[in-house]
Amino acid sequence: MTLTSTRPDPSATHTGTAFARRASASQTSTRLLAGPPAVAGAESLFDHRARLGPLPGRVATQLIPVLERSGLLGRGGAGFPVGRKWRSVAERSEGRAVVLVNGAEGEPLSRKDRNLMAFRPHLVIDGAVLAAAAVGADAIVLYVGAEHASARAALTRAVAERTRELAVPIQLVAAPVGYVSGEESAAVHFVNAGDPRPTNVPPRPHERGVHGRPTLVQNVESLAHAALIARHGDAWYRQAGLGDTPGTALLTVAGAVTQPGVREIQIGTPLGEVAAGAGATREGTRGILLGGYFGGWAGVDEAWNLPLDPAVMRPRGFAFGCGVVSFLSPAECGVMATGRILDFMARSSAGQCGPCVFGLRAIADATHRLATGTPDPDDLARLERWSGEIAERGACRHPDGAVGFLRSGLRVFGDDFVRHQARRGCEARARTGTN
Amino acid sequence: MNFLWYAARGAGVVSLILLSAVLVLGIVTSVRWSSAALPRFVTAQLHRNLALLSLAFLGIHIVTAVVDPYTSLGWLTVVIPFSSDYRQLWLGLGVVSVDLALAVVVTSLLRDRVGYRVWRTVHWLAYGAWPFAVLHGLGTGTDAFAPWMLVIQGLCVAAVVAAVWWRMSVGHAGQQVSASSTLAAQQLDTDAR
Repeated sequence: MTLTSTRPDPSATHTGTAFARRASASQTSTRLLAGPPAVAGAESLFDHRARLGPLPGRVATQLIPVLERSGLLGRGGAGFPVGRKWRSVAERSEGRAVVLVNGAEGEPLSRKDRNLMAFRPHLVIDGAVLAAAAVGADAIVLYVGAEHASARAALTRAVAERTRELAVPIQLVAAPVGYVSGEESAAVHFVNAGDPRPTNVPPRPHERGVHGRPTLVQNVESLAHAALIARHGDAWYRQAGLGDTPGTALLTVAGAVTQPGVREIQIGTPLGEVAAGAGATREGTRGILLGGYFGGWAGVDEAWNLPLDPAVMRPRGFAFGCGVVSFLSPAECGVMATGRILDFMARSSAGQCGPCVFGLRAIADATHRLATGTPDPDDLARLERWSGEIAERGACRHPDGAVGFLRSGLRVFGDDFVRHQARRGCEARARTGTN
Repeated sequence: MNFLWYAARGAGVVSLILLSAVLVLGIVTSVRWSSAALPRFVTAQLHRNLALLSLAFLGIHIVTAVVDPYTSLGWLTVVIPFSSDYRQLWLGLGVVSVDLALAVVVTSLLRDRVGYRVWRTVHWLAYGAWPFAVLHGLGTGTDAFAPWMLVIQGLCVAAVVAAVWWRMSVGHAGQQVSASSTLAAQQLDTDAR
């Protein structure tokens, strides 16, 4: 019995494998990860500029329409159009907005943000500098997970390299460890008051954020894409992408694969292709977690040919989210894996809202009882009821994400849940012969 | 994580301080100044020992900078001025400084072999090595414009400028009666009475 199936092996070089393979990928699918391999460490300002050229200064003020035309979507999970977000801050900024660069990456399975910061710090800073110029900001805050040591070291050094040329001061803030501290209102709350709990919205950060000023909260990958779009244009950006959503995206591939790690794909690449590249097989997969803990489970048959494109996934009830694709091995129990993640979500509650604190705890406990073969008679029925009752009752969307995840588990592993409720044993255990 | 970076920065700062001290002591030695507390053999010995110490810190500074993958410097760029693509000018000034300092050190160690005149001529290069080192630090030092580093640089420059100015006003050692010989003359004077 293993509870850590979908958790990536911390010893596996997530960074190494993915970045090293970059060389074999075609130009259209390798953009953020182009350049020297991960073993070279953080790219210096000199190497960065030698490879990509200087930031075009003129473009900054005209960048917002370019970003809007590019179709770039935010990569923190929500997928909000980047150009529109910048415009909404620019309209309110009066030159005193704040750019909050979100590198908290509290999603347990995700590695892409910390790797991007650790190996391409200047691409991220380029994006932040451009954003500050475009929206009219006079401060940049790099909000980086306290546990992402390599990322913070690389950014510290990268900022030091640029201090003499920065028009806008950059401050590095360690985001407290925790799933919710990367939520945008939580990030603003922490920078303002040292309290990483989400706040009621509105006002949204783009209206009143850091120090009460209009604040652009943007994920690090989104900013890195913006830095390339500023150099190459929106038409260039749209050359990549196999379906409706243009561009490339970073994925974190985890779980029952031979080569876990961060890789860059053209948006719209079928899941099966990503699986093949990472060494996962259809037979060797019980289910796939898409979009991280805020996303949900997908069955093998429905997902194998699914294009990894938010425009296709969302209508079908799947989440691209933060780009996590995690494969659950057939040797593992779907109920157990669901219960483990729900327990994490319950523990990650900021503890502010009743439905989140008590609702998620009750859901996690009921799932745990089912998973361990000791269910109350009506646990499954209660789970089904609760899964529809908790959404939209918190200050932030944490409980919504958790019950959405529960619903995906009930759908994809429905038979297993029924089997566990009836105490008829577990398919995973039956197959592997363990008790 | 950034250990090599910190080491290179720290060793660079210490090297600058030591080099400035060595230069000041060298000037003091060259005019044969001494006092009761600092007789000439002390300043001369201190000059020599601090010079070797600064060489050690320069070594740390250079090795950590080269080994650090971030800078991607080759070993040759350490001796050949302006041969690195990375911060060509500012790094090159540091390399010039090191080359000059090396010439001074090598001729000093081989003073018996090269002879006094060669040694003395080469030793003048020390006046060149130091300003290159200061410019190198100002141009590429991470901390160059941090308040504390500005203070350190200011003190180093002030000390060296003061020493040079003093030396020029005092003139060559050969032409000058040093403080101690004046004292000795006074003593002779009193003896004569």
